[in-house]
Amino acid sequence: MTGTDNPTDRSGTTAGNDRNPVPEEYDLPPDADPAVCGYCGAPFADEELLALHRGIDHATALDAAEREAFDEAYESEEERLRLFRLKALGALVLLYFGLLMTYSVFA
Amino acid sequence: MVGTSLRRYCGCLLVPVLAGTLFVGTAAAHGGSLGAGGRESIQIPTWLFLLTGGGAVGASFLLSSFVTDRLFVRTFHGWGRDAIVPARRLLVVLGQLAGLAGLAAVLVIGFLGPDAALANLGLLLVWVGWWAGFTMTAYLVGNTWPVLNPFRTVARVLPTLDWPYPDRLGAWPSVVGLLALIWLEVVSPLADDPRLLATTILGYAAVTLAGAFLFGPDRWFADADPVARVFRYYGRVAPLTRDDDGVRIRLRLPGSALTDARLVDGLDEVAFVVALVWVTTYDGLVATPLWRGFATWIVGVGVPPAILYPAVLVAGYVVFLGAYWLAARGARRLADSYVSTRVLAQRFAPPLLAIAAGYHLAHYLEYFLSLAPAALAVAPTPLAGPATGEVPIGVVPGWFGALNLTFVLLGHLLAIWVAHAAAFDRFPGRLQAIRSQYTFTLVMICYTMASLWIVSQPTVTPPFL
Repeated sequence: MTGTDNPTDRSGTTAGNDRNPVPEEYDLPPDADPAVCGYCGAPFADEELLALHRGIDHATALDAAEREAFDEAYESEEERLRLFRLKALGALVLLYFGLLMTYSVFA
Repeated sequence: MVGTSLRRYCGCLLVPVLAGTLFVGTAAAHGGSLGAGGRESIQIPTWLFLLTGGGAVGASFLLSSFVTDRLFVRTFHGWGRDAIVPARRLLVVLGQLAGLAGLAAVLVIGFLGPDAALANLGLLLVWVGWWAGFTMTAYLVGNTWPVLNPFRTVARVLPTLDWPYPDRLGAWPSVVGLLALIWLEVVSPLADDPRLLATTILGYAAVTLAGAFLFGPDRWFADADPVARVFRYYGRVAPLTRDDDGVRIRLRLPGSALTDARLVDGLDEVAFVVALVWVTTYDGLVATPLWRGFATWIVGVGVPPAILYPAVLVAGYVVFLGAYWLAARGARRLADSYVSTRVLAQRFAPPLLAIAAGYHLAHYLEYFLSLAPAALAVAPTPLAGPATGEVPIGVVPGWFGALNLTFVLLGHLLAIWVAHAAAFDRFPGRLQAIRSQYTFTLVMICYTMASLWIVSQPTVTPPFL
């Protein structure tokens, strides 16, 4: 994603916050309690986003536990995505029929 | 830029200068404006038409949110074919010569040719050939301005002091330059007066060559020159691009490169992209009846027009920039992300270029097609004017109005898709990526409705100019 994948010198550091300062592109609010990536120092709002990030950006460096965390996070996201798709479909139908009705009245 | 000039051609110039021929009379009625065509094809209330446009953008956001396969998105955007350009050096030399010849023609014919706008090949070359036609090739085919740019060709053979360009200036000179050029185009008869146009080009040449002399042509055209930046940005929408040394060209899907994180890497560049979108809107806005009413009222209150026009240009720009910044901040919050607002603003600025391109095409395709015959007719006798004393104007069919609206919508749809793909590239969570687009989509819906409203309005000459 941002060219942060560099497994050779970062594999094995799972909580290396001190060695990996927060990259410049992030801007942490003072009261934030982020989940920090041990490979690149990127902060995330929760563990699930961190697990997803590790699986995508450091795919080649993951250990078994991290891989499992990624799979779990991915699955759980899939479920919420299904719900979102239903809502999006509903919104589309609403939009379509809403416009259709409006047209039948005003045009 | 030439929305104004189109109005002026058809409203003020075309009729008095070339009256007497039925052909031209018809053209004036038909080619009147983007809005005129649009109005004919719209039989529904304006608000419903705008609502439909906004709805189409909203629906396309919902539809794109169904595509959540990262690999698919990435493959789609990474697709490309490379080829080596044959006879590259020859092509470059020919391009440079064409650019120089074009500039010489514009200046000589501008100063020595006929006074009438439509009879002057120099003026037609600039507005019809270059700003309408050539700009279209920049986003529909690829950016060839670095080769054609006659100022660059001249600057390269001149000596240079090669002073270090101040980094903190970044792209800001080009932002100011773009706003200034648009202001000049709107408030002056730049599109009607060949002498004034030629003088302005000389002024631009003086500034550009001075800049290139101080900082070196490469740096000047990369950072400070607004025109080069406009074409470079439009070229990013195009299907053809070249690698850094120009040896290979690459074919890609139109707009697919706009997801690239490196395209816009500073707030100054974000400011330029937003300026590009705003100036097209401003140019259309000052030609609406609503603006005429507003300007008449506010000048009546005591604001001089000389202040009103630049003030609204700057104020509107600040509003656009502010709305975009708020959208970026909203994206950060909705996506529950710690990525800085600045990075998000940079990341989601390139998709706006697709909108600017769509809007440009909607404005200028009709303009180009109707005035290109005039340019061809005056080409054989550039200094004497048209031999027959009249100039043919192309007449576009009535459905062109609908086509123009389609271009506006297509630009927005492409932008929605590209922003979706960029979000998937930026955020680890798929739902997070979708959420990050809520505010940007809202801004785009508002912007679509505003653009469609301007396009659907009858075009009038801006007052007090």
